[in-house]
Amino acid sequence: MDRLDSFKGEPDRRLFVDPTSRPAVVIDNGTGYTKMGFAGNVEPCFIIPTVVAVNESFLGQPATPTGKGAWGGSALHSAGVMADLDFFIGDEALARKDANAYTLSYPIRHGQVENWDTMERFWQQCIFNYLRCDPEDHYFLLTESPLTAPETREYTGEIMFETFNVPGLYIAVQAVLALAAGYTTTKCEMTGVVVDAGDGMTHVVPVADGYVIGSSIKSVPIAGRDLNIFIQQLMRERGEPVPPEDSLDISRRIKEMYCYTCADIVKEFGKHDKEPAKYIKQWSGTHTKKGIPYKIDIGYERFLAPEVFFSPEIYSSDFTVPLPEIVDKCIQTSPIDTRRALYKNIVLSGGSTMFKDFQRRLQRDIKKIVDTRLTASETRTGGGHKAQAVDVNVVGHHMQRYAVWFGGSVLASTPDFYKACHTKAEYEEYGSSICRTNPVFKGMY
Amino acid sequence: MRALWNACTRKGGKGALPEEKSKLLQQQQPAPQLQHQLSANHLVVAPTSLVKVESAMILLPGASRVLQQVLLSRLRSTEKPTEVDFHLTEFDDVRYHIKASAKEPKQVLLSICLPPPPPSTVLVAGLPFGAIEAVKGTFGAVSQVVDPPENDYHLTLNVDIWSFPTDEALADQLITKLASLRSVVLGAPLREILKHLATKTVAPDADSLIALMHRPKEAYFIVPQAEKVTVVFPMRFKDNNDVILGTSFLQEFMEARRSPGLSTAPPCVWSPKAPAEIMKDKKEEEPNAGWVSFGEKLDKLVWILSTFYAYVSYHIKCSKGFMHTRMRRRVETLIQVLNRAKPEVEKERKSMSGRSFKRAV
Repeated sequence: MDRLDSFKGEPDRRLFVDPTSRPAVVIDNGTGYTKMGFAGNVEPCFIIPTVVAVNESFLGQPATPTGKGAWGGSALHSAGVMADLDFFIGDEALARKDANAYTLSYPIRHGQVENWDTMERFWQQCIFNYLRCDPEDHYFLLTESPLTAPETREYTGEIMFETFNVPGLYIAVQAVLALAAGYTTTKCEMTGVVVDAGDGMTHVVPVADGYVIGSSIKSVPIAGRDLNIFIQQLMRERGEPVPPEDSLDISRRIKEMYCYTCADIVKEFGKHDKEPAKYIKQWSGTHTKKGIPYKIDIGYERFLAPEVFFSPEIYSSDFTVPLPEIVDKCIQTSPIDTRRALYKNIVLSGGSTMFKDFQRRLQRDIKKIVDTRLTASETRTGGGHKAQAVDVNVVGHHMQRYAVWFGGSVLASTPDFYKACHTKAEYEEYGSSICRTNPVFKGMY
Repeated sequence: MRALWNACTRKGGKGALPEEKSKLLQQQQPAPQLQHQLSANHLVVAPTSLVKVESAMILLPGASRVLQQVLLSRLRSTEKPTEVDFHLTEFDDVRYHIKASAKEPKQVLLSICLPPPPPSTVLVAGLPFGAIEAVKGTFGAVSQVVDPPENDYHLTLNVDIWSFPTDEALADQLITKLASLRSVVLGAPLREILKHLATKTVAPDADSLIALMHRPKEAYFIVPQAEKVTVVFPMRFKDNNDVILGTSFLQEFMEARRSPGLSTAPPCVWSPKAPAEIMKDKKEEEPNAGWVSFGEKLDKLVWILSTFYAYVSYHIKCSKGFMHTRMRRRVETLIQVLNRAKPEVEKERKSMSGRSFKRAV
């Protein structure tokens, strides 16, 4: 009978291994892609599109005020019994976009969670089916855009603690994590400007000593998705034989594979015209539906798409401020004693900054703006006062695409992370309002 | 869970959730002294009731996606290989480490670490009985067991991608198998017992009660007999809400057999007290005919049994999520009703000359 001792009565608290001994789970939910993995790894385990294919057939019935809605009838009931599990996320969801029963839902729009139902399901699948861990066993590090409202943070906390029973949670600002990604390469500098160009939105976020300077955040309504649309437009206007149903996906792939940043747009046009064989690329594929092969030429869009960041007027008439100017404005509105440090450390993050030479072009353009201002002020003072040159430095590294996730992975593997987390006990004591603030902790220096 | 669910829907329809829930809570917690028993429920389950798969995500898949992904990319990818180094933690504290360098892309080191064992289980060099043999038997052709294993890990395999079968389907199968390494290792003793059941014999040296590793410092119990095998899971949940949801979920397992489609499912008994087998008072009858007769199913069965806790826990979370979905919908409809009930804003009255004025109240 002795072997049964561990078996009777109340669950023995000693049975539960302390979750802080396990690696934390780091999930970075972006508008376009979600990056997830365990802290301490160099790469995220999965990068999947943030999309859920739901079978709405069981939810579609109109709710009637009597309460005898979709779930009243027994036939409907049995049809719906498993329907709550009948959904897919990521690439599996995209594969079902043509199936009748499923509708695609993008839970995050412009960096903000819009659909909490699908978001909750998305997390559920991420945890159980992709990472395959028990959420009760791990601390969690989630990310949010710098413009997220505190209420959203509370709601996230509620879902994490109530549904998944996570033992601890930390919600970090993406920009701060992107800065922390430089942790291993150089000494960790927690002051800098993060240019975060993802799929949905581009943010320029100044951070001083790990704290976001909220009043100076600038956002640009141009990001990866807009570049896709722009490429699609260009190809359509030129009359390339792109199958319309796949055209957006093809333009995304063209963007990822062939686009680059040019130094001078006029010269670049000349280069393309002089040596078309060298610059014009070919793309061939087959119709997904009809199975007919086709061929596309990829021409000016190779450099015109990234150019949208630097001269937005070629794409949109509503928004025409170039990115370098916005970065400069962002730093100029920050506290004066941080500005030099901010110019020195402009960090790129997000997939849409991956274009070749993007970093050099941005640095050159910002430097130009800064130098013009300096000479202007010198001439204003009559040349008597010589200003010290401003050091402009745009930092890019090979982790750029998932810099936010990597920064999270680095931070969550420091022992201080566990102390900075909100624990389930705290949540139960004080409620979801604790999730409003997430302190900057020591590992960030 | 589904019991709670049915109760909510059958009796009250949409609106009934909170009341019904509280009613159920009362039913299940009749007296405070019973509470602790609920948190250590014992479930006797015979497994084919679980094997019925209606949709892919009802059961958790056996193979680790990351491992699958890494191995597949090593086998198929035409791109320049990069270094891969992942530390993973799975359900129930099983840890994996998969590593391959850029120089030798076809040599993959795969290590597994098992949870800290409960005192009642028998282990040979940190591994369950028969595990090494099972691993060698399954993966002998493509891998070598590295001795001693990597630091902090219990078993290390050196997988040679070159020696994978050229047939795509076979290779895929093998990769899936490798990715479910834990099921091979942890399930080895169980597999042995179930194989004996198929031939209706009992292994000569078998105990009457076998404890197998299940979760960190926790075991589940097996009573092997010639005609049947009874599997007993002690269920412990950390969270009080989970205890309640989990209990009704488990009770639903007992009910499941009554529905017409599942009449062949093996019986499943849930009781708040430790069952008779464990108490060794009397033997319970559990006839069970020929449900483990062929190989593929056996593997699946072993996986399902060895991750039963994760399965239940997964469904508790799913159900919670689903309830939240319904609650949100409910709130939305209520807000609609409220909006409809808002009194209309009184229109500003104007005098003949076109001037407006507010009346003092």
